[in-house]
Amino acid sequence: MPAIINSAPDCVVHKEGANPDDLADFILQDNYADCAGFGTFMPGSTYGEDGSGAESIYMIVTWVGIVVMIVVLVAWVVLENRRLLAAMVGARETPPGHVPQPGGVGEDR
Amino acid sequence: MIGSLLAQVESLKDAASSAGQTQDSLILGEQFYFFTVVIMWLIHAGFMSYETGIARKKNALATAMKNILTIAVVTPTFYYFGWWIYNCNQPGLPIGPNSSDFTAAACQGGIPWSDAFGPNLTNNINLVFFLAFLLFSWTTASIMSGAIIERARLSAYLLLACMLGSVVWILDAAWGWSAGGWLTLRFGFHDSIASGVVHGVAGAFTLGVLFNLGPRIGKYTREGLARQFRPHNLHMTLLGLMLIFTGFYAFYAACLVISSTAFPGWANIYLSPTTLGTIAMIITMGFAGGFTGGYFASRGDPFWTVSGGLAGVISVSAGADVYAPTLGYLIAMASAAMVVYAGNWIEKSVRVDDAVGAVAVHGVAGFLGMLWVGVFAAGYPTGVNNVDSSIGGQLIGMATFLPLGFLTGYYMSWVMKKLNILRVPVEVEFMGLDIAEYEPNLYLPEVAVVDEQIVEPDGTPVEAHIVLRTARDEVVS
Repeated sequence: MPAIINSAPDCVVHKEGANPDDLADFILQDNYADCAGFGTFMPGSTYGEDGSGAESIYMIVTWVGIVVMIVVLVAWVVLENRRLLAAMVGARETPPGHVPQPGGVGEDR
Repeated sequence: MIGSLLAQVESLKDAASSAGQTQDSLILGEQFYFFTVVIMWLIHAGFMSYETGIARKKNALATAMKNILTIAVVTPTFYYFGWWIYNCNQPGLPIGPNSSDFTAAACQGGIPWSDAFGPNLTNNINLVFFLAFLLFSWTTASIMSGAIIERARLSAYLLLACMLGSVVWILDAAWGWSAGGWLTLRFGFHDSIASGVVHGVAGAFTLGVLFNLGPRIGKYTREGLARQFRPHNLHMTLLGLMLIFTGFYAFYAACLVISSTAFPGWANIYLSPTTLGTIAMIITMGFAGGFTGGYFASRGDPFWTVSGGLAGVISVSAGADVYAPTLGYLIAMASAAMVVYAGNWIEKSVRVDDAVGAVAVHGVAGFLGMLWVGVFAAGYPTGVNNVDSSIGGQLIGMATFLPLGFLTGYYMSWVMKKLNILRVPVEVEFMGLDIAEYEPNLYLPEVAVVDEQIVEPDGTPVEAHIVLRTARDEVVS
Protein backbone atom coordinates (compact mmCIF):
# COMPACT_ATOMS: atom_id res chain seq x y z
CA MET A 1 0.00 0.00 0.00
CA PRO A 2 1.56 3.30 -1.00
CA ALA A 3 2.33 5.75 1.75
CA ILE A 4 0.27 8.95 1.88
CA ILE A 5 3.41 10.85 2.77
CA ASN A 6 6.76 9.16 2.50
CA SER A 7 8.55 10.76 5.41
CA ALA A 8 11.60 8.49 5.41
CA PRO A 9 14.93 9.98 4.33
CA ASP A 10 16.68 8.83 1.18
CA CYS A 11 19.08 6.57 3.02
CA VAL A 12 16.19 4.20 3.76
CA VAL A 13 15.77 1.92 0.76
CA HIS A 14 12.73 -0.21 0.04
CA LYS A 15 13.49 -3.78 -0.90
CA GLU A 16 10.80 -6.34 -1.55
CA GLY A 17 10.67 -9.20 0.92
CA ALA A 18 13.06 -10.08 3.67
CA ASN A 19 16.55 -11.43 3.55
CA PRO A 20 16.85 -14.47 5.84
CA ASP A 21 20.23 -13.20 6.97
CA ASP A 22 18.98 -9.91 8.29
CA LEU A 23 15.97 -10.81 10.40
CA ALA A 24 17.67 -11.78 13.65
CA ASP A 25 17.57 -9.38 16.55
CA PHE A 26 20.31 -6.77 16.61
CA ILE A 27 21.16 -7.26 12.95
CA LEU A 28 20.53 -4.23 10.82
CA GLN A 29 18.18 -4.96 7.97
CA ASP A 30 19.25 -4.25 4.42
CA ASN A 31 16.68 -1.51 4.15
CA TYR A 32 18.48 0.51 6.81
CA ALA A 33 22.01 -0.63 6.09
CA ASP A 34 23.13 2.77 4.83
CA CYS A 35 21.39 4.79 7.51
CA ALA A 36 22.67 6.33 10.69
CA GLY A 37 20.01 8.99 11.27
CA PHE A 38 16.58 8.09 9.88
CA GLY A 39 13.91 10.11 11.70
CA THR A 40 10.74 11.21 9.94
CA PHE A 41 11.25 14.20 7.67
CA MET A 42 14.86 14.40 8.81
CA PRO A 43 17.62 14.80 6.27
CA GLY A 44 18.96 11.39 7.21
CA SER A 45 22.62 10.54 7.43
CA THR A 46 24.77 7.61 6.55
CA TYR A 47 27.51 5.85 8.46
CA GLY A 48 30.75 7.72 8.39
CA GLU A 49 29.14 11.14 8.31
CA ASP A 50 29.30 13.49 11.22
CA GLY A 51 25.62 14.15 11.04
CA SER A 52 23.98 16.75 8.91
CA GLY A 53 22.18 19.95 9.63
CA ALA A 54 18.97 21.52 8.48
CA GLU A 55 17.24 20.64 5.27
CA SER A 56 14.10 22.21 3.96
CA ILE A 57 11.27 19.85 4.93
CA TYR A 58 12.57 19.10 8.41
CA MET A 59 13.32 22.76 9.02
CA ILE A 60 9.70 23.53 8.13
CA VAL A 61 8.38 20.83 10.46
CA THR A 62 10.56 22.13 13.26
CA TRP A 63 9.38 25.70 12.80
CA VAL A 64 5.76 24.54 12.74
CA GLY A 65 6.41 22.99 16.14
CA ILE A 66 7.97 26.21 17.45
CA VAL A 67 5.06 28.32 16.20
CA VAL A 68 2.51 25.93 17.73
CA MET A 69 4.36 26.08 21.03
CA ILE A 70 4.23 29.89 21.05
CA VAL A 71 0.55 29.94 20.09
CA VAL A 72 -0.23 27.53 22.92
CA LEU A 73 1.56 29.73 25.46
CA VAL A 74 -0.30 32.84 24.30
CA ALA A 75 -3.61 30.95 24.30
CA TRP A 76 -2.98 29.88 27.86
CA VAL A 77 -2.70 33.52 28.94
CA VAL A 78 -5.76 34.65 26.99
CA LEU A 79 -8.08 31.82 27.97
CA GLU A 80 -7.15 31.96 31.63
CA ASN A 81 -7.67 35.71 31.65
CA ARG A 82 -11.21 35.25 30.31
CA ARG A 83 -11.98 32.60 32.87
CA LEU A 84 -10.66 34.66 35.76
CA LEU A 85 -12.54 37.77 34.67
CA ALA A 86 -15.75 35.77 34.46
CA ALA A 87 -15.18 34.39 37.93
CA MET A 88 -14.42 37.88 39.23
CA VAL A 89 -17.65 39.27 37.80
CA GLY A 90 -19.58 36.34 39.25
CA ALA A 91 -18.06 36.92 42.65
CA ARG A 92 -19.02 40.62 42.61
CA GLU A 93 -22.61 39.73 41.79
CA THR A 94 -22.99 37.38 44.74
CA PRO A 95 -24.51 38.83 47.93
CA PRO A 96 -22.10 40.24 50.53
CA GLY A 97 -20.93 37.63 52.97
CA HIS A 98 -21.64 34.74 50.64
CA VAL A 99 -18.65 32.56 49.98
CA PRO A 100 -19.06 30.09 47.08
CA GLN A 101 -18.33 26.59 48.25
CA PRO A 102 -16.78 23.79 46.26
CA GLY A 103 -19.29 21.01 45.80
CA GLY A 104 -22.28 23.22 46.41
CA VAL A 105 -25.42 23.11 44.32
CA GLY A 106 -27.87 25.72 43.10
CA GLU A 107 -27.18 29.14 44.57
CA ASP A 108 -24.12 27.85 46.37
CA ARG A 109 -22.29 27.20 43.09
CA MET B 1 55.76 -10.70 4.85
CA ILE B 2 53.74 -13.14 6.98
CA GLY B 3 54.81 -11.31 10.08
CA SER B 4 53.53 -8.09 8.62
CA LEU B 5 50.17 -9.67 7.76
CA LEU B 6 49.82 -11.10 11.26
CA ALA B 7 50.59 -7.69 12.72
CA GLN B 8 47.90 -6.15 10.52
CA VAL B 9 45.39 -8.81 11.60
CA GLU B 10 46.20 -8.17 15.26
CA SER B 11 45.85 -4.45 14.67
CA LEU B 12 42.42 -4.96 13.10
CA LYS B 13 41.39 -7.21 16.01
CA ASP B 14 42.45 -4.53 18.48
CA ALA B 15 40.56 -1.88 16.55
CA ALA B 16 37.44 -4.06 16.48
CA SER B 17 37.76 -4.78 20.16
CA SER B 18 38.22 -1.10 20.94
CA ALA B 19 35.20 -0.11 18.82
CA GLY B 20 33.12 -2.80 20.50
CA GLN B 21 34.13 -1.59 23.93
CA THR B 22 33.26 1.96 23.02
CA GLN B 23 29.86 0.86 21.73
CA ASP B 24 29.23 -1.18 24.88
CA SER B 25 30.15 1.83 26.95
CA LEU B 26 27.74 4.05 25.03
CA ILE B 27 24.89 1.58 25.43
CA LEU B 28 25.64 1.26 29.14
CA GLY B 29 25.55 5.05 29.36
CA GLU B 30 22.26 5.13 27.49
CA GLN B 31 20.69 2.71 29.96
CA PHE B 32 22.17 4.53 32.94
CA TYR B 33 20.75 7.92 32.00
CA PHE B 34 17.44 6.37 31.01
CA PHE B 35 16.91 4.98 34.50
CA THR B 36 17.99 8.22 36.16
CA VAL B 37 15.34 9.97 34.08
CA VAL B 38 12.67 7.50 35.20
CA ILE B 39 13.56 7.88 38.87
CA MET B 40 13.81 11.66 38.60
CA TRP B 41 10.08 11.76 37.79
CA LEU B 42 9.65 11.12 41.51
CA ILE B 43 10.99 14.61 42.13
CA HIS B 44 7.99 16.01 40.29
CA ALA B 45 5.52 13.74 41.98
CA GLY B 46 7.15 14.99 45.15
CA PHE B 47 6.93 18.67 44.28
CA MET B 48 3.27 18.23 43.44
CA SER B 49 2.46 16.50 46.73
CA TYR B 50 4.62 18.88 48.72
CA GLU B 51 2.99 22.03 47.38
CA THR B 52 -0.54 20.66 47.28
CA GLY B 53 -0.28 19.67 50.93
CA ILE B 54 0.94 23.15 51.86
CA ALA B 55 -1.89 24.85 49.97
CA ARG B 56 -5.26 25.54 51.54
CA LYS B 57 -8.11 23.29 50.44
CA LYS B 58 -9.57 25.89 48.14
CA ASN B 59 -6.34 25.99 46.11
CA ALA B 60 -5.29 22.35 46.21
CA LEU B 61 -6.22 21.33 42.67
CA ALA B 62 -4.87 24.52 41.10
CA THR B 63 -1.58 23.94 42.89
CA ALA B 64 -1.30 20.36 41.68
CA MET B 65 -2.24 21.22 38.11
CA LYS B 66 0.43 23.89 38.01
CA ASN B 67 3.10 21.30 38.78
CA ILE B 68 1.85 18.87 36.17
CA LEU B 69 1.63 21.53 33.48
CA THR B 70 5.25 22.50 34.13
CA ILE B 71 6.07 19.44 32.07
CA ALA B 72 3.79 20.59 29.25
CA VAL B 73 5.61 23.86 28.66
CA VAL B 74 9.20 23.35 29.77
CA THR B 75 9.61 20.24 27.63
CA PRO B 76 9.02 21.88 24.22
CA THR B 77 10.80 25.11 25.10
CA PHE B 78 13.82 23.20 26.37
CA TYR B 79 13.75 21.06 23.25
CA TYR B 80 13.49 23.97 20.84
CA PHE B 81 16.05 26.30 22.39
CA GLY B 82 17.20 25.20 25.85
CA TRP B 83 19.52 22.47 24.68
CA TRP B 84 20.92 24.78 22.02
CA ILE B 85 21.68 27.35 24.72
CA TYR B 86 23.66 24.77 26.66
CA ASN B 87 25.62 23.38 23.76
CA CYS B 88 26.31 26.57 21.84
CA ASN B 89 26.87 29.22 24.50
CA GLN B 90 29.54 27.82 26.76
CA PRO B 91 32.12 30.44 25.75
CA GLY B 92 29.66 33.22 26.67
CA LEU B 93 26.68 35.04 25.25
CA PRO B 94 26.27 34.65 21.49
CA ILE B 95 26.80 38.33 20.78
CA GLY B 96 30.03 38.26 18.80
CA PRO B 97 30.56 37.14 15.20
CA ASN B 98 30.76 33.36 14.83
CA SER B 99 30.23 32.85 18.56
CA SER B 100 27.30 30.54 17.88
CA ASP B 101 28.36 28.50 14.92
CA PHE B 102 25.58 26.07 14.06
CA THR B 103 28.03 23.87 12.21
CA ALA B 104 30.40 23.47 15.16
CA ALA B 105 30.47 19.93 16.51
CA ALA B 106 29.48 21.06 19.99
CA CYS B 107 26.36 22.71 18.62
CA GLN B 108 25.27 19.90 16.34
CA GLY B 109 23.63 17.85 19.06
CA GLY B 110 21.78 20.87 20.39
CA ILE B 111 19.90 22.27 17.43
CA PRO B 112 16.41 20.82 17.09
CA TRP B 113 16.73 20.12 13.39
CA SER B 114 19.90 18.09 13.80
CA ASP B 115 19.63 14.44 12.90
CA ALA B 116 21.45 13.71 16.15
CA PHE B 117 18.18 14.81 17.80
CA GLY B 118 16.14 11.90 16.46
CA PRO B 119 16.51 8.20 15.66
CA ASN B 120 20.20 7.84 14.97
CA LEU B 121 22.12 4.58 15.14
CA THR B 122 25.45 6.30 15.63
CA ASN B 123 24.32 8.38 18.58
CA ASN B 124 23.09 6.54 21.66
CA ILE B 125 23.79 9.35 24.08
CA ASN B 126 22.49 12.68 22.81
CA LEU B 127 18.78 12.11 23.31
CA VAL B 128 18.97 10.41 26.67
CA PHE B 129 21.49 12.96 27.95
CA PHE B 130 19.12 15.68 26.75
CA LEU B 131 16.33 14.01 28.73
CA ALA B 132 18.42 14.01 31.90
CA PHE B 133 18.95 17.74 31.47
CA LEU B 134 15.27 18.19 30.72
CA LEU B 135 14.40 16.65 34.06
CA PHE B 136 16.82 19.10 35.69
CA SER B 137 14.88 21.85 33.91
CA TRP B 138 11.56 20.67 35.30
CA THR B 139 13.11 20.60 38.75
CA THR B 140 14.46 24.12 38.39
CA ALA B 141 11.08 25.48 37.32
CA SER B 142 9.31 23.55 40.09
CA ILE B 143 11.50 25.22 42.70
CA MET B 144 9.75 28.49 41.88
CA SER B 145 6.26 27.01 41.65
CA GLY B 146 5.75 26.39 45.36
CA ALA B 147 6.72 29.89 46.43
CA ILE B 148 4.01 31.60 44.39
CA ILE B 149 1.03 29.35 45.08
CA GLU B 150 -2.48 30.56 45.91
CA ARG B 151 -2.30 33.90 44.08
CA ALA B 152 -0.25 33.62 40.88
CA ARG B 153 -2.03 32.91 37.63
CA LEU B 154 -1.38 29.51 36.11
CA SER B 155 -0.43 31.07 32.76
CA ALA B 156 1.91 33.52 34.47
CA TYR B 157 3.63 30.69 36.23
CA LEU B 158 3.96 28.72 33.00
CA LEU B 159 5.63 31.64 31.20
CA LEU B 160 7.98 32.19 34.11
CA ALA B 161 8.71 28.46 34.22
CA CYS B 162 9.70 28.55 30.54
CA MET B 163 12.10 31.41 31.22
CA LEU B 164 13.64 29.81 34.30
CA GLY B 165 13.61 26.20 33.12
CA SER B 166 14.58 26.68 29.49
CA VAL B 167 16.72 29.83 29.45
CA VAL B 168 18.10 31.13 32.74
CA TRP B 169 19.35 28.00 34.45
CA ILE B 170 20.63 26.36 31.29
CA LEU B 171 22.57 29.51 30.40
CA ASP B 172 24.32 29.48 33.75
CA ALA B 173 24.86 25.74 33.30
CA ALA B 174 26.56 26.43 29.96
CA TRP B 175 28.86 28.91 31.66
CA GLY B 176 29.62 27.11 34.91
CA TRP B 177 28.40 23.53 34.65
CA SER B 178 30.18 22.20 31.62
CA ALA B 179 33.71 21.23 30.74
CA GLY B 180 33.91 24.07 28.23
CA GLY B 181 32.15 26.84 30.15
CA TRP B 182 34.00 30.11 30.55
CA LEU B 183 33.62 30.09 34.32
CA THR B 184 35.14 26.62 34.42
CA LEU B 185 37.94 27.19 31.94
CA ARG B 186 39.03 30.57 33.24
CA PHE B 187 38.25 30.51 36.95
CA GLY B 188 38.04 26.85 37.93
CA PHE B 189 34.45 27.35 39.06
CA HIS B 190 33.30 24.14 40.74
CA ASP B 191 29.65 23.25 41.35
CA SER B 192 29.62 19.58 40.56
CA ILE B 193 26.03 18.65 41.50
CA ALA B 194 24.50 22.06 40.88
CA SER B 195 24.12 23.77 44.27
CA GLY B 196 24.08 27.14 42.60
CA VAL B 197 23.52 26.24 38.97
CA VAL B 198 20.08 24.78 39.69
CA HIS B 199 19.02 25.68 43.22
CA GLY B 200 20.76 28.99 43.83
CA VAL B 201 19.70 30.51 40.54
CA ALA B 202 16.14 29.25 40.91
CA GLY B 203 15.98 30.75 44.40
CA ALA B 204 17.24 34.11 43.14
CA PHE B 205 14.77 34.09 40.25
CA THR B 206 11.95 33.24 42.66
CA LEU B 207 12.86 36.10 44.96
CA GLY B 208 12.66 38.50 42.03
CA VAL B 209 9.21 37.19 41.13
CA LEU B 210 7.95 37.37 44.72
CA PHE B 211 8.84 41.06 44.97
CA ASN B 212 6.38 41.80 42.18
CA LEU B 213 3.79 39.18 43.04
CA GLY B 214 3.29 40.30 46.63
CA PRO B 215 1.95 38.31 49.58
CA ARG B 216 -1.29 36.36 49.76
CA ILE B 217 -4.29 38.26 51.04
CA GLY B 218 -4.24 38.21 54.83
CA LYS B 219 -0.67 36.95 55.14
CA TYR B 220 0.42 40.04 57.05
CA THR B 221 -1.40 42.11 59.62
CA ARG B 222 -1.79 45.84 59.21
CA GLU B 223 1.29 46.17 61.44
CA GLY B 224 3.28 43.91 59.12
CA LEU B 225 3.36 40.85 61.35
CA ALA B 226 3.21 37.48 59.61
CA ARG B 227 0.22 35.19 59.99
CA GLN B 228 0.50 31.47 59.30
CA PHE B 229 -1.75 29.67 56.85
CA ARG B 230 -2.21 26.12 57.98
CA PRO B 231 -1.24 23.47 55.40
CA HIS B 232 -4.36 21.51 54.51
CA ASN B 233 -2.44 18.22 54.57
CA LEU B 234 0.99 18.20 56.19
CA HIS B 235 1.32 14.45 55.72
CA MET B 236 1.05 14.92 51.98
CA THR B 237 3.73 17.59 52.19
CA LEU B 238 6.09 15.33 54.09
CA LEU B 239 5.47 12.46 51.68
CA GLY B 240 6.21 14.85 48.83
CA LEU B 241 9.53 15.77 50.36
CA MET B 242 10.43 12.11 50.79
CA LEU B 243 9.66 11.53 47.11
CA ILE B 244 11.87 14.47 46.21
CA PHE B 245 14.65 13.00 48.33
CA THR B 246 14.36 9.64 46.57
CA GLY B 247 14.48 11.30 43.19
CA PHE B 248 17.50 13.31 44.27
CA TYR B 249 19.67 10.20 44.23
CA ALA B 250 18.94 9.86 40.53
CA PHE B 251 19.48 13.59 40.07
CA TYR B 252 22.92 13.26 41.63
CA ALA B 253 23.76 10.21 39.56
CA ALA B 254 22.65 11.89 36.35
CA CYS B 255 25.07 14.74 37.04
CA LEU B 256 27.98 12.34 36.49
CA VAL B 257 29.50 11.24 33.23
CA ILE B 258 29.83 7.47 32.83
CA SER B 259 32.41 5.64 30.73
CA SER B 260 32.96 1.96 31.37
CA THR B 261 36.05 1.84 29.18
CA ALA B 262 38.04 4.37 31.16
CA PHE B 263 39.30 4.33 34.73
CA PRO B 264 37.66 5.14 37.17
CA GLY B 265 34.55 5.01 34.95
CA TRP B 266 32.99 8.14 36.41
CA ALA B 267 33.64 11.82 36.10
CA ASN B 268 31.85 14.92 37.25
CA ILE B 269 30.26 17.31 34.77
CA TYR B 270 33.67 18.96 34.30
CA LEU B 271 35.18 15.59 33.33
CA SER B 272 37.28 15.47 36.51
CA PRO B 273 37.32 12.07 38.24
CA THR B 274 34.97 10.96 41.02
CA THR B 275 32.88 7.87 41.82
CA LEU B 276 29.17 7.16 42.10
CA GLY B 277 29.73 5.97 45.67
CA THR B 278 31.28 9.30 46.62
CA ILE B 279 28.31 11.39 45.66
CA ALA B 280 25.80 8.85 47.04
CA MET B 281 27.65 8.99 50.36
CA ILE B 282 27.67 12.76 50.49
CA ILE B 283 23.98 13.07 49.67
CA THR B 284 23.16 10.67 52.49
CA MET B 285 25.38 12.46 54.99
CA GLY B 286 23.87 15.71 53.73
CA PHE B 287 20.38 14.50 54.57
CA ALA B 288 21.49 13.35 58.02
CA GLY B 289 23.18 16.64 58.81
CA GLY B 290 20.40 18.69 57.24
CA PHE B 291 17.58 17.02 59.19
CA THR B 292 19.55 17.49 62.39
CA GLY B 293 20.36 21.14 61.76
CA GLY B 294 16.81 21.88 60.69
CA TYR B 295 15.33 20.17 63.73
CA PHE B 296 17.40 22.00 66.29
CA ALA B 297 17.31 25.38 64.60
CA SER B 298 13.52 25.26 64.33
CA ARG B 299 13.03 23.61 67.72
CA GLY B 300 11.45 20.55 66.22
CA ASP B 301 9.17 22.16 63.66
CA PRO B 302 8.26 19.32 61.21
CA PHE B 303 8.23 21.53 58.12
CA TRP B 304 11.62 23.03 58.75
CA THR B 305 13.11 19.73 59.94
CA VAL B 306 12.33 18.03 56.65
CA SER B 307 13.12 21.13 54.61
CA GLY B 308 16.40 21.24 56.51
CA GLY B 309 17.28 17.87 54.98
CA LEU B 310 16.75 19.31 51.53
CA ALA B 311 18.76 22.41 52.38
CA GLY B 312 21.55 20.25 53.78
CA VAL B 313 21.85 18.23 50.61
CA ILE B 314 21.79 21.32 48.43
CA SER B 315 24.55 22.92 50.48
CA VAL B 316 26.91 19.98 49.96
CA SER B 317 26.07 19.40 46.31
CA ALA B 318 28.70 21.71 44.84
CA GLY B 319 31.53 19.73 46.39
CA ALA B 320 29.87 16.33 46.59
CA ASP B 321 32.46 14.82 44.26
CA VAL B 322 35.38 15.60 46.58
CA TYR B 323 34.06 16.15 50.11
CA ALA B 324 34.95 13.75 52.89
CA PRO B 325 31.75 12.33 54.46
CA THR B 326 32.33 14.03 57.80
CA LEU B 327 32.73 17.38 56.12
CA GLY B 328 29.50 16.81 54.23
CA TYR B 329 27.69 16.01 57.46
CA LEU B 330 28.95 19.11 59.26
CA ILE B 331 28.43 21.49 56.35
CA ALA B 332 24.88 20.23 55.85
CA MET B 333 24.02 20.61 59.53
CA ALA B 334 25.34 24.16 59.75
CA SER B 335 23.78 25.18 56.45
CA ALA B 336 20.35 23.79 57.32
CA ALA B 337 20.38 25.76 60.57
CA MET B 338 21.29 28.91 58.66
CA VAL B 339 18.51 28.26 56.20
CA VAL B 340 15.91 28.04 58.96
CA TYR B 341 16.96 31.45 60.25
CA ALA B 342 17.11 32.84 56.72
CA GLY B 343 13.61 31.55 55.98
CA ASN B 344 12.17 33.19 59.06
CA TRP B 345 14.02 36.40 58.32
CA ILE B 346 12.72 36.51 54.76
CA GLU B 347 9.16 35.93 55.93
CA LYS B 348 9.07 38.13 59.01
CA SER B 349 11.58 40.90 58.41
CA VAL B 350 11.73 41.25 54.63
CA ARG B 351 8.00 40.40 54.46
CA VAL B 352 8.28 38.27 51.40
CA ASP B 353 5.51 35.66 51.33
CA ASP B 354 7.31 32.54 50.16
CA ALA B 355 4.72 29.81 50.77
CA VAL B 356 7.19 26.92 50.86
CA GLY B 357 10.43 28.59 51.89
CA ALA B 358 11.95 28.05 48.44
CA VAL B 359 14.13 31.15 48.50
CA ALA B 360 15.76 30.03 51.73
CA VAL B 361 15.90 26.29 51.11
CA HIS B 362 17.07 26.45 47.50
CA GLY B 363 18.44 29.96 47.08
CA VAL B 364 20.32 30.47 50.33
CA ALA B 365 21.50 26.86 50.56
CA GLY B 366 22.50 26.92 46.89
CA PHE B 367 24.68 29.99 47.24
CA LEU B 368 26.14 28.68 50.50
CA GLY B 369 27.00 25.48 48.65
CA MET B 370 29.03 27.37 46.07
CA LEU B 371 30.78 29.33 48.80
CA TRP B 372 31.69 26.24 50.84
CA VAL B 373 33.65 24.78 47.92
CA GLY B 374 35.87 27.86 47.91
CA VAL B 375 36.36 27.56 51.66
CA PHE B 376 36.66 23.79 52.14
CA ALA B 377 37.54 22.34 48.73
CA ALA B 378 39.96 24.75 47.11
CA GLY B 379 42.85 23.39 45.12
CA TYR B 380 41.08 20.74 43.06
CA PRO B 381 41.91 21.03 39.36
CA THR B 382 38.57 21.48 37.60
CA GLY B 383 37.65 21.10 33.95
CA VAL B 384 39.77 20.34 30.92
CA ASN B 385 42.06 23.33 31.56
CA ASN B 386 42.69 21.98 35.08
CA VAL B 387 42.26 25.35 36.76
CA ASP B 388 42.24 24.97 40.54
CA SER B 389 38.99 25.63 42.34
CA SER B 390 39.34 28.62 44.64
CA ILE B 391 37.37 31.06 46.76
CA GLY B 392 37.90 33.70 44.07
CA GLY B 393 36.53 31.50 41.33
CA GLN B 394 33.52 30.57 43.44
CA LEU B 395 32.78 34.22 44.25
CA ILE B 396 32.95 35.11 40.56
CA GLY B 397 30.46 32.36 39.84
CA MET B 398 28.14 33.57 42.59
CA ALA B 399 28.42 37.15 41.39
CA THR B 400 27.44 35.97 37.93
CA PHE B 401 24.52 33.77 38.95
CA LEU B 402 22.85 36.07 41.47
CA PRO B 403 22.02 38.91 39.06
CA LEU B 404 21.30 36.49 36.24
CA GLY B 405 18.60 34.77 38.28
CA PHE B 406 17.24 37.68 40.30
CA LEU B 407 17.09 40.33 37.58
CA THR B 408 15.52 38.02 35.03
CA GLY B 409 12.82 36.95 37.46
CA TYR B 410 12.25 40.47 38.68
CA TYR B 411 11.95 42.17 35.31
CA MET B 412 9.93 39.44 33.64
CA SER B 413 7.40 39.43 36.48
CA TRP B 414 7.45 43.25 36.53
CA VAL B 415 6.37 43.33 32.89
CA MET B 416 3.66 40.75 33.58
CA LYS B 417 2.46 42.78 36.53
CA LYS B 418 2.18 45.86 34.34
CA LEU B 419 0.17 43.85 31.83
CA ASN B 420 -2.04 42.60 34.67
CA ILE B 421 -1.40 38.96 33.87
CA LEU B 422 0.69 38.04 36.91
CA ARG B 423 -1.82 37.68 39.72
CA VAL B 424 -5.39 36.46 39.95
CA PRO B 425 -8.11 39.03 40.80
CA VAL B 426 -8.72 39.67 44.49
CA GLU B 427 -12.18 38.10 44.33
CA VAL B 428 -10.77 34.92 42.83
CA GLU B 429 -8.01 34.68 45.38
CA PHE B 430 -10.55 35.10 48.15
CA MET B 431 -12.91 32.40 46.96
CA GLY B 432 -10.10 30.05 45.92
CA LEU B 433 -8.44 29.27 42.63
CA ASP B 434 -10.05 25.87 42.25
CA ILE B 435 -13.53 27.34 41.86
CA ALA B 436 -12.41 29.90 39.30
CA GLU B 437 -10.03 27.76 37.28
CA TYR B 438 -11.81 24.42 37.30
CA GLU B 439 -15.25 22.90 37.57
CA PRO B 440 -16.55 23.90 40.99
CA ASN B 441 -18.36 20.70 41.77
CA LEU B 442 -15.19 18.80 42.55
CA TYR B 443 -15.26 18.26 46.27
CA LEU B 444 -17.72 16.85 48.73
CA PRO B 445 -19.81 19.56 50.43
CA GLU B 446 -18.07 19.05 53.73
CA VAL B 447 -14.84 20.37 52.24
CA ALA B 448 -15.62 23.96 52.98
CA VAL B 449 -13.48 27.05 52.77
CA VAL B 450 -14.97 28.55 55.90
CA ASP B 451 -13.73 25.66 58.05
CA GLU B 452 -10.14 26.69 57.57
CA GLN B 453 -8.22 28.47 60.28
CA ILE B 454 -5.46 31.01 60.19
CA VAL B 455 -2.86 31.52 62.92
CA GLU B 456 -2.33 35.07 64.10
CA PRO B 457 1.21 36.32 64.84
CA ASP B 458 0.62 35.73 68.56
CA GLY B 459 -0.24 32.09 67.88
CA THR B 460 -4.01 32.38 68.23
CA PRO B 461 -5.99 30.34 65.68
CA VAL B 462 -9.01 32.17 64.25
CA GLU B 463 -11.58 31.44 61.56
CA ALA B 464 -9.87 32.16 58.26
CA HIS B 465 -12.83 33.73 56.48
CA ILE B 466 -13.12 36.52 59.06
CA VAL B 467 -9.49 37.59 58.65
CA LEU B 468 -9.46 37.10 54.90
CA ARG B 469 -12.67 39.04 54.26
CA THR B 470 -11.29 41.99 56.21
CA ALA B 471 -7.99 41.81 54.35
CA ARG B 472 -9.76 41.51 51.00
CA ASP B 473 -11.92 44.54 51.72
CA GLU B 474 -8.80 46.52 52.59
CA VAL B 475 -7.20 45.54 49.27
CA VAL B 476 -10.33 46.38 47.27
CA SER B 477 -10.86 49.71 48.99
